[in-house]
Amino acid sequence: MIECTINGETVRLDADPDMPLLWALRDLAGLTGTKFGCGIGLCGACTVHVGGNATRSCITPLKDVAGAAITTIEGLDADGEHPLQQTWRALQVPQCGYCQSGQIMQAAALLKDMPNPSDDDIDAVMTGNLCRCMTYPRIRGAIRDAAAAMKEASAHG
Amino acid sequence: MADTLDSRRLPDQGPSTPRLSRRAFLVSMCAAGAVFGFPRAGLAAMNPQAADGQPLEAAGQRFEPTLWYWIDTEGRVNVNVIRAEMGQHVGTAIARILADELGARWEDVHIEHVDSDPKWGTMVTGGSWSVWQSWPVYRQAGAAGRLALAEKAAALWGVKASAVTVADGRVRAGGRDIGFGELVRRGLDRQFSEDELKELPLKPHDQLTLLGRDLKALDIDTKTNGQAIYGIDAHREGMVHAVPILPPTRYDCAITAIDDSAAKDIKGYRQTLKLDDPSGTAPGWAMVIADSHWAARQAAGRIQVSYQTGDATRVNEAEIQAENRRLADDADAGSILDTGDSGDVDAVFKGAADTFQADYTTQTVLHFQLEPVNALVFRNDDGVWEVHTGNQWQSLCLPWLQKALGVDEDQVVMRTYLLGGGFGRRLNGDYAIPAALASKALDGRPVKMILTRADDSHFDSVRPPTLSRLRMAFDADKRVVGMDSAVVSGWPTKVMMPAFMPKGVNGEPYDPFSSDGIDHWYGVGAQRARAISNELAEHTFRPGWLRSVSPGWTNFAVESFMDEAARHIGQDPLRFRLDHFKAEGRNAGQAPNSVGGARRQAAVLERVAALSGYGRDDLPADSAIGIATTYGQSRSMPTWVGGAVHLSVDRDSGRVDVHKIWLVVDCGTVVDPNGARAQVEGSALWGLSMALYEGTEFKNGRVADTNLDRYAPLRMMDTPEIEIELVDSTEVPVGLGEPGTTVVAPAIANALHAAVGVRLRHLPITPAAVREALRRAES
Amino acid sequence: MIKRIFLALLLLAVVVAVAFTVYAWHSELPAMAASDRPDFDAATVEKGRVLAAAGYCATCHTAEGGEPYAGNYPVVSDFGTIYASNITPDPDTGIGDWSPAAFRRAMHEGVDREGRHLFPAFPYDHFTKLSDQDADALYAYLMSEVAPVNQRTRESTLPFPLNLRFLQAGWKLLFVDFGRYQPDPDRDDAWNRGAYLAEGISHCGACHTPRNALGAEDQGQRYQGAVIDSWTAPALTSRNPSAMRWTAADLSGYLKHGADAYHGIAAGPMGPVVHAGIAELPDRDLHALGVYFASIARDGDSGPLPEPDSSPAQASVAAGKPDPAWRLDDGERLYATACASCHYNDSADNLKATRPDLGINSATRLDDPANLIHVILDGVPADEGSQGVVMPAFRSALDDRQIAAIAAYLRASRTDLPAWPDLPERVGELRAHAGTH
Repeated sequence: MIECTINGETVRLDADPDMPLLWALRDLAGLTGTKFGCGIGLCGACTVHVGGNATRSCITPLKDVAGAAITTIEGLDADGEHPLQQTWRALQVPQCGYCQSGQIMQAAALLKDMPNPSDDDIDAVMTGNLCRCMTYPRIRGAIRDAAAAMKEASAHG
Repeated sequence: MADTLDSRRLPDQGPSTPRLSRRAFLVSMCAAGAVFGFPRAGLAAMNPQAADGQPLEAAGQRFEPTLWYWIDTEGRVNVNVIRAEMGQHVGTAIARILADELGARWEDVHIEHVDSDPKWGTMVTGGSWSVWQSWPVYRQAGAAGRLALAEKAAALWGVKASAVTVADGRVRAGGRDIGFGELVRRGLDRQFSEDELKELPLKPHDQLTLLGRDLKALDIDTKTNGQAIYGIDAHREGMVHAVPILPPTRYDCAITAIDDSAAKDIKGYRQTLKLDDPSGTAPGWAMVIADSHWAARQAAGRIQVSYQTGDATRVNEAEIQAENRRLADDADAGSILDTGDSGDVDAVFKGAADTFQADYTTQTVLHFQLEPVNALVFRNDDGVWEVHTGNQWQSLCLPWLQKALGVDEDQVVMRTYLLGGGFGRRLNGDYAIPAALASKALDGRPVKMILTRADDSHFDSVRPPTLSRLRMAFDADKRVVGMDSAVVSGWPTKVMMPAFMPKGVNGEPYDPFSSDGIDHWYGVGAQRARAISNELAEHTFRPGWLRSVSPGWTNFAVESFMDEAARHIGQDPLRFRLDHFKAEGRNAGQAPNSVGGARRQAAVLERVAALSGYGRDDLPADSAIGIATTYGQSRSMPTWVGGAVHLSVDRDSGRVDVHKIWLVVDCGTVVDPNGARAQVEGSALWGLSMALYEGTEFKNGRVADTNLDRYAPLRMMDTPEIEIELVDSTEVPVGLGEPGTTVVAPAIANALHAAVGVRLRHLPITPAAVREALRRAES
Repeated sequence: MIKRIFLALLLLAVVVAVAFTVYAWHSELPAMAASDRPDFDAATVEKGRVLAAAGYCATCHTAEGGEPYAGNYPVVSDFGTIYASNITPDPDTGIGDWSPAAFRRAMHEGVDREGRHLFPAFPYDHFTKLSDQDADALYAYLMSEVAPVNQRTRESTLPFPLNLRFLQAGWKLLFVDFGRYQPDPDRDDAWNRGAYLAEGISHCGACHTPRNALGAEDQGQRYQGAVIDSWTAPALTSRNPSAMRWTAADLSGYLKHGADAYHGIAAGPMGPVVHAGIAELPDRDLHALGVYFASIARDGDSGPLPEPDSSPAQASVAAGKPDPAWRLDDGERLYATACASCHYNDSADNLKATRPDLGINSATRLDDPANLIHVILDGVPADEGSQGVVMPAFRSALDDRQIAAIAAYLRASRTDLPAWPDLPERVGELRAHAGTH
């Protein structure tokens, strides 16, 4: 039995300790917003936050997150109104959308650590997230816009 | 796809898939879903705006002017979409066409991706055809609703229907004003025959208010909060999980033994099925069944399967390319495309003062759509097999499913899910078959199958290794007098849908998706274009349709060749091209799709040359701008594209650094400007990815690189600046999903030559190849 | 003459044997029933709890999945496997019938209640430094807070004669300097407190000081680094390979949080040392440890501190900036797609322990790539390193050659240290090694 919190709720999962977190989230917790892409941590579609840090859940064994706080795309913001989600919609970033949960979760971790990212910073951090529809130009734009919006909000807040 | 496509190119598929144009557009289709014991509409369709994909439920009675939508008593307009959503926001584009003609308020518009009920006709999403094909159909449907609403209001108010206006979801006359919903509540059942529909007056272009406006696509929200439902998310109570064990090669493998003793102690492992496939789609498959995907995966890793294998295990990429060359050398091989009555090619070449020839090849490319293929299959309470998966061509897959399951067409239905990438992979629904076979073996129990990434690659219907051979003849004045082309590869259409192959002028069938592009719009005198199928390839693997299909490689050949030919006779490549775009004869174009012909292609080329600064001489050493032009997917629905690439070359490493891409696109009317740009951006970057980074090879009958540790598509760090210009036009809207892909590789090859003087004729252009070419050029 | 010499030698041998026997022999101390134990005040019990944590006693006295302190944790050595004792207050299989004096003797002299020598896997060579009061506090904690568990301790697999416990006395004679900690009057209180903890209860040298052929800490090489369970316990002296100088504040922060932005994280065997142990110490004790090890890091030099130098961090961050040629080298390509999302840093002024910068990280700079490879293979669970943060495990994702390529790329691009030899083979060895992690 492995206990952790997912999107703020404490859960106990009776599963193989080596089961990747991805499959525990999708098949046990029923949170399908996190996607399976490559299974080797190189596409980023499975990105969630563990302890606030972007983490590839497809190669993270469940036993390693015992006691940790996990956030998935469903829990990033209760109303789906994280600044990144807002700019993502405003710029109509998603095409097929399959990688976008992972992109947004990675971008959210990026902005937490680097609130004013340069294009180099965005490129370096986001290159681990493959978008097969190649929405990269818009992802860049949406991250820049969200960074600006968050800066604005904190200046007035 | 059959209704609006040129019937010469794409013959009817037969009685099981009626053509849309022959359908009566009957009204008042009530409870249609129940006819074949299909599940309730609520379970058989998909609404990408809703968290659970559940379609909108009509409030009160609903008015269905045609098959394609209904309006309820709250005035909500629910549009039925038969195209798959895979990133092109197709439902939004189609709903916009309908809503515009109808006069609906955009906020009232909803979409529903429907199941594979035969009433919808042929279901396919590919070839960048969706908007082009939907344009006339949904405009007629919108006009029908508009007329019915106007007539109802006119009768209500005792005025002439012609005095009534319909706009923004309301009907008005004089000072009176009534909403769509209120009119529906008062009872509306107007019917239209197909002939009536065809006669309906359509709005003039300038009265279309939604067209060309930036509207947010209806499928965007759920794709930013994790609520969008893809095939991989399909769920059914009581389902078991399945992970296949694939045979060494696609064909000719049979299982001789399965030893699962090492898997028996895995918690949740149930059994391993040896699949028996009457459809021949997935021979030699074993399916591991377990209580969870993870348990099935672990078990699959421990199960030993023995096979009897065939010849394909000895085939490598080099043999396939050698066969391509052998076939190109054989003057009798292949189908000869209709390039008009242009003269005796052999005689012209014989009498030519000079000729120039070059071969261009491309390596095997994977789709690598990010969602690995998957399917959930079960037999429902009505005895109907339900196939839940993301798919681009239900009409192709359904007969395979029937054969595999041994049932009639009314016993199988496919439910549409969002696609985690299509790119042509899911045109071929072969992956649904093994899941169906597993459910069949388990007496209809729900089976959810997900392939691992490596297996997805292994089972992929790849873009096959290709060869294009081009020859040009010049007279004594260096004028072009003839051109002879051949393109060779494995043909997906021959393998999967032979009825779709038109016949060439020599009576031999050809695959348009493996030859489009070779029959370009340049006037070159006597012209011959041959398309040849490589059966060694077809017997080794199942070739696939991959984003932009043959124009992705034929244009690399043609547009590289035009540069080379120009330089061969000492002319400027831009001037040379423009001189040979003459809108005359068969290159003058035809209404409605190719109006303007070569003139429009010349225009986008000239524009992109100007926009990019092509020809400027102030660039640093080892850098240059290269150009190319294509007409998208086929002569029958050309999207005119001019492309330019600015790059530099690192001579030491051979690395090509692309700095900027310019694209000028004339796709006729732009229905959805934002979506259009998104498609052009994405398709151009696909072109870049396949030009420089993507390529694997067959080794022992299977692809060598199956995951991202070795297969390395374009990433954000590689993404250059892109400038796109859409030509303002009121011509028929054509496709945009693929044309951007086709110009990038030749523009890169041409820029590379301009930058460092070497010509690369193989894709992908790797640093090692550039280094080698530079080394040879120096010695 | 020869005879006399022989007799003299024989006499000497007898004297030595008798002396050794006298030295080696310890009496059994009387058993004490639970009811006879003294009462413990809450403050003493709490002090004992913190000391037990600072000595991470539970880590070695608890088997995987077993009850706390019930023993049977396997200590694997070159000589054989020794199983840690049951130190719960169970009277039959634990230490439930030990008196405070027996417990104190075990800690200070490495002898159990019955008078048998304990194997030096139990670091009494350090615990001998512990004050009587602290030993008593530990006793109080174990007896009052730990649940008794009836579980017999397994026999060691040491071969003859190493399994003869009385021979341990010889080892003690040769290698152990018994006696309580003696403060250094030339040092301040913090330094002395740090030394007392480090040399005593926290037994840092047990891992960070190389051992000789007989398994004793080589006092000539104190804190010069050693290999422990295929991980490197880095040198804590001036031979520490960190690019950035360890300060007292860095050290105490690292011991409190299990991670430091300028050096790396506590992973592998060091993981539980911090999180199941030392982090429990009050801040003033962590500060004391920081002061002590900052002094060790300067080899005792107490002169003025050199100016802080951030240039290594700046160089590392600069080397990590996006490189258009990133695809040319397999290691760089894999790093960019698998690692950079979490390890890239925008600025040397914005380094975070949760985004370890691998150019200045100890793992990239050690002579042995084992620590780096271990972490790539098996990741870092939430209870190691930065608490609640994980690194995924690439064991099933990347092959030996690919992991080697990433390690080689980091070593070459982020440090000026010599390349690691035979990397793919090293990854293969460590992949096969079933360690504690």
